[in-house]
Amino acid sequence: MNKLPILRILGTMIMVLFSVFHVYAQNKVTLSGYIKDGGSGESLIAALIKFPDLKLSSYSNNYGFYSVSIPAGKHAVEISFVGYQTYQDTLQVDASKQMNFELISTSNTIEEVVVSAKKEDGNVTSAQMGSLKFTMEEVKNVPVIFGERDILKTIQLLPGVASGGEGSSSFYVRGGGGDQNLILLDEATVYNASHLLGFFSTFNSDAVKDANLYKGGIPAQYGGRISSVMDINMLDGNNKKFAVEGGLGLIASRLKVEGPIVKDKSSFMLSGRRTYADMFLKLSKDETVNQSKLYFYDLNAKVNYKLNDRNTVYLSGYFGKDDLGYSDLFGFDWGNATATVRWNHVLNNQLFSNTTLIYSDFTYNVNVNNDDSDFTIASKIRNWNLKQDFSYYSNNNNVLKFGVNLLQQRIRPASLEAKAGSAVNSIAVDNRQGIEAAAYVSHEWKPIENLSIIYGLRFNDFMVLGPGTFYDFDQDGEPIAEKTYGNEVIKHYLNVEPRASMAYILSPRNSIKASYNRIAQNLHQLTNTTSSLPTDQYVVSSLNIKPQIADQVALGYFQNFSNNAYEFSVESYYKKLDNQIDFRNGADLQANKYMEGDLLYGIGRAYGVEFLLRKNKGKLNGWVSYTLAKSERQFDQINDGNWYAARQDRTHDISIVGIYQLSPKWNLGATFVYNTGNAITFPSGKYQVNGTTMFYYTERNGYRMPAYHRLDLSANYEPKNQDKRFNSSWSFGLYNAYNRRNAYIIDFRENETNPNITEAYKIALFGIIPSVTWNFKF
Amino acid sequence: MRSILTYIAVVSLFFFNSCEEKIDIDLNDSDPRIVIEANLTNEDRNQEILVSRTVNFDSPEFDQVDNASVVVKGSNGRNYTFTPAGNGLYTNNNFFVNTQITYTLEVSVDNKTYSSKGTMVDYVEIDSMGVTKENIFNEDYYFVNLKFEDPKGVPNYYLYTVSINDGPFKFNAVQNDKFNDAQVVTHQIGGRNDEFKVGDKVKVRRQIVSKELYTYWNEYQLTNPGSAAPGNPTGNISNGALGYFGISNVRDYTVTIADADDDDLE
Repeated sequence: MNKLPILRILGTMIMVLFSVFHVYAQNKVTLSGYIKDGGSGESLIAALIKFPDLKLSSYSNNYGFYSVSIPAGKHAVEISFVGYQTYQDTLQVDASKQMNFELISTSNTIEEVVVSAKKEDGNVTSAQMGSLKFTMEEVKNVPVIFGERDILKTIQLLPGVASGGEGSSSFYVRGGGGDQNLILLDEATVYNASHLLGFFSTFNSDAVKDANLYKGGIPAQYGGRISSVMDINMLDGNNKKFAVEGGLGLIASRLKVEGPIVKDKSSFMLSGRRTYADMFLKLSKDETVNQSKLYFYDLNAKVNYKLNDRNTVYLSGYFGKDDLGYSDLFGFDWGNATATVRWNHVLNNQLFSNTTLIYSDFTYNVNVNNDDSDFTIASKIRNWNLKQDFSYYSNNNNVLKFGVNLLQQRIRPASLEAKAGSAVNSIAVDNRQGIEAAAYVSHEWKPIENLSIIYGLRFNDFMVLGPGTFYDFDQDGEPIAEKTYGNEVIKHYLNVEPRASMAYILSPRNSIKASYNRIAQNLHQLTNTTSSLPTDQYVVSSLNIKPQIADQVALGYFQNFSNNAYEFSVESYYKKLDNQIDFRNGADLQANKYMEGDLLYGIGRAYGVEFLLRKNKGKLNGWVSYTLAKSERQFDQINDGNWYAARQDRTHDISIVGIYQLSPKWNLGATFVYNTGNAITFPSGKYQVNGTTMFYYTERNGYRMPAYHRLDLSANYEPKNQDKRFNSSWSFGLYNAYNRRNAYIIDFRENETNPNITEAYKIALFGIIPSVTWNFKF
Repeated sequence: MRSILTYIAVVSLFFFNSCEEKIDIDLNDSDPRIVIEANLTNEDRNQEILVSRTVNFDSPEFDQVDNASVVVKGSNGRNYTFTPAGNGLYTNNNFFVNTQITYTLEVSVDNKTYSSKGTMVDYVEIDSMGVTKENIFNEDYYFVNLKFEDPKGVPNYYLYTVSINDGPFKFNAVQNDKFNDAQVVTHQIGGRNDEFKVGDKVKVRRQIVSKELYTYWNEYQLTNPGSAAPGNPTGNISNGALGYFGISNVRDYTVTIADADDDDLE
């Protein structure tokens, strides 16, 4: 099968759009360039550039690049970004040219805390819906477990985003699965976004510039996961002066160094973090304990070089590892690595190009060294991804984004390698690989004054590649046929994914928005426990496993009050999920060449309504979010074919976040969460076999865990008038302040004296947890 | 820029605590379903089959079925009728199972018939046995070890039940040879819920079983409070009956736990 038709269709579409835009573009000049932080040289993402007398405005892109078309002449310009002094000037522009702007941060003088980094009324006027943007500055004051500020835990406080569990950094978006979130760090896919079995995210807040979450209306430049996109950008590194920043906490410490390599041209950023729970193990006299390991570390590094005004090269990487070990008998380590090379090229004042080569992997290793069982288990999943993206700023009412993307995905499923003399046999399972070729075009368009539209298409061809042996299974999952393939394309899965999002602006204070998206997903994570583990098996679409597909429609109303001090929004959505995966009872997912026979395929649906009220100005900031939702699945072989609640289905989910600037030195934060318990399978009866009480289950996920609620508190103390070059601050936290024993697991057991009586036990994970962190900066 | 970093030591208030408590949960009622436990063995000529119904979770008693008709038919044409002995128990005292014969179970209750088929597989003899003590996180645990050579090229399934101090046999573990076909293998049997103590008389019943029986017990064994979706173990009896029908090749091994040194497996 040939991929060329797709490219030809795309090419034709782009040519037509270009010619249309050129007609519009006459008699104007184009002003383009970069908007940066004057103190550090960091590019500012989504800064607003505005020409008040022309009544037009535009935003900088993910690299701080902007481009606007204006009539030749003299114009007033205003450039603003929350947390920065607004830049105002009058420009004489007679011909198209490049101009860079630097804004001065107000963070040392401003008293209130900033929660919104967007244009003040951006939530009302932008066509994008279902999206939320955070800078690390905003995350800083939200209380979290262990005092480790964490962007993945902060987003769980937003409507439509549900926590993966107590203290967990995993999350579910709008009733989707945990593996349906595309988590990108400088455009590289991060496969396992958590450390220490989920209690920490892999994103070291020191190294992160900002994050964008899309839960609906996902733009065409993103693909590959059907529920959400979490796009995280790393800091570029200060290109004006050297700076050191760090923190010392109870669990982990971190240190960041950044500075210019060539002033104003090139800079670097290096940030590391390590936990030291295992240091306490060293104190033990017991040899098996003091030789045990329990830690993780993270390294983020980034270098950029501005070749000239038109070309900048970025190199960024992440490496993180968790290591658990019990004496020398058992070892278990896992980690992600990513590397991204990017070349930003300004082809002309209106055409911005970004070429990216990305590598990402996730590996885990288990070592068992025990008498006659001496073996290692290793698994690796990796991808290479080549992307070419263009943004064409035709005029202020039209921006065209288009690009192509070639992603090679390879999975080495867990294989077992026995050492000599071991009473265990080596088992190898075939690698699986595929190539995903995608092309997209997206048009941001303002056809009339009050209407903004983003619409686009993404074409996606997933090629299942050999070599390998593929199996056919009967209804009961028993293998019935096998076929071995060489280095060839075994199957194409072709998907056309339309995307659209629009806003109709009723007044500068309120708007209605609607969106639709279809997305296909070809990488699937198989989890058969309630928490995801590093050993979860990944599979790519194959002859048996079809791409997961989601269609989502959403409708919303957005309103700002009191001079944009309050933002209110209500969004409702309906999502249809196809080719969802579950398992047969007793599924054997590890080192099993017939594993696909243990999989079941079904459908899902999720719908809900989300309310968000946010206060952005004044001494008291924060938000109240409420989600009313349902998420269900249907599999012919499960629950007698009836619809049942997905595990993450939570009817009510409430979050309240308040941040109060008490004095110039003290800042207080509080978070309250309440949600309906997860859907869970409990027994509805019992019987005895072999003298053992067995539980009789009648309905999948027919019960609920008890409701979950929790209050967290934090206080930040930042003494002022310190040595100008050295700054330090203290963060104090109290997780689960009223010591609520939230159920983590419910366990049913026989009564110890009378086995005929069965009892339920609730196991809670965390009680009240205080934390303290000392931060410094110079 | 300052050249030296000075760290401040932080007094740790951190504590990491989990806790458990007994709670009341209101569980739904369920319609009763027939449960058949038919594990025939070649231990002797006495065979037992148990028939019961599921009960509601809060029921203080189990519901035995005493009005069933139970028969096992051999492929050699012989029929073995089981007679009710009360409390849901059905017995036949002159039935010696044989590896050459396929057996068919037929149980009828209230005009519904539940059936299944099975054969007995060859026994896998052990080479040696012993007791080991292991120290795991500062606690001593005792294990009974059975060492044997796994037969090559065929999948083998092992079921262990354990009786402590002449108590009833309770399920302990199932094993397969997925990772150690044709190897010299040691199966380590520990107390499943009741740990072995010094002086305990431990009787380990080792059964070589069919794949169906392995599947049944393995699904039971894999179900834990962290399972995403626990279910009823997949049995091999028709018409929706819970439980299983198996014909096991069985040997018992008795050992008294002595305070042994670590790893003295002979």
